[in-house]
Amino acid sequence: MADQHDIEALADSLSASADALHAHLMRALRKPAPDGAPAMSQGTAQALFENEVLLRQRANSLYLDSARLAAAGLGGAQQQLLELARRAEDAIARIDRVKDMIDLTAELLSLGAAVATGKPDHLAAPLEKLKHHLAALPAPG
Amino acid sequence: MKLSRVILILCCLALLGGCASSSPRMADVRAFAAQSPHLGAYHELTERYRTTYQREQPFLSPAADLRERQLDQQRQASSADFAKLQTGVQAYMQALGRLAGDKQYDLEDQVKSMSAGIKAWPDSGIDERHVNAYAGLARLVARALTRPAQDSAVQELLRDGHQAMAELLGAMRTLLRLYDKSSDNEQKIVLGMLETEIPFVDTRRDRLLLALSRSLQHDKQAEYHLTGVRNTQAQQNLAAIEQAHRALFNQIPQQ
Repeated sequence: MADQHDIEALADSLSASADALHAHLMRALRKPAPDGAPAMSQGTAQALFENEVLLRQRANSLYLDSARLAAAGLGGAQQQLLELARRAEDAIARIDRVKDMIDLTAELLSLGAAVATGKPDHLAAPLEKLKHHLAALPAPG
Repeated sequence: MKLSRVILILCCLALLGGCASSSPRMADVRAFAAQSPHLGAYHELTERYRTTYQREQPFLSPAADLRERQLDQQRQASSADFAKLQTGVQAYMQALGRLAGDKQYDLEDQVKSMSAGIKAWPDSGIDERHVNAYAGLARLVARALTRPAQDSAVQELLRDGHQAMAELLGAMRTLLRLYDKSSDNEQKIVLGMLETEIPFVDTRRDRLLLALSRSLQHDKQAEYHLTGVRNTQAQQNLAAIEQAHRALFNQIPQQ
């Protein structure tokens, strides 16, 4: 099977031929006949342009073939990256639990500060916060 | 004997320190991940490639239209696959970014709320100095707890994803180049039709037709010029992403 670069190179040369044909056509159209009309008949110009379009369509068809070859067989790489992205999310979840631990420590510390004031009414708020936090933590898996 | 062992241990520690400092800095990883929105241009250009026929159709002869319709079917079928290449790359880059994220692991908020919690008790005998000391300690603990886990997770992801990323980015680069070449031919079909027909317009009888054609010619030239610029930019951005990814991979200690 032809390789992606070979097909692309073939398409490049078809595009280049179309460019050459177009340059030729435009030169003829810009050279007016004595009566001011283009030296070439409209029918001839259209027929020539039709060939140019055909060349470009062939080239684009080859570019598509080449693109398909470039993208083929990458399903595995694709899957692997999606799988890795999922694993990273797991890792993030694990590290988040460490963060929870810091949160808990902070709450314990403010509870400690409340205890140190010796004013029991100050205890209620930090205690409630801590209880809620513990209840919200995911069960250890 | 004892002394040489101590020196050996110190050397090992120094080596380990060397390893740690050679791992990619989280800021670099985040900077890499922040480039992922640039992949949007690839998506946009794939979509433009997919809709080539719609733009060409009014300018095609019946025979050329028939041929182009066949090509269009193949293009439609393949473009979905082309667009998918980007999905995996983007998901991977975003995951890396979150994993190396500042916000996620910056415990400054926790430290602050802790300080605030302590300050709320003015009679506790705890003064500003203590609060700052607590905060400093908490910061150190937080860093010590999260850093190694984050570092190794980022390194693992970079190591495991390297090959797949290189392949997908390479394919995307090739496809952008092919879109550009295909768009060139599309441009020359559209503008070429106008260019070869305008000389035959009767300048006195068909003034309106001439004005409309020239105006369309002008607009189309601008449109294709912009598309070309957009493609060049997309290729440059993709090359920058490939390069940044290689640089990150080269920074991680090889196993």
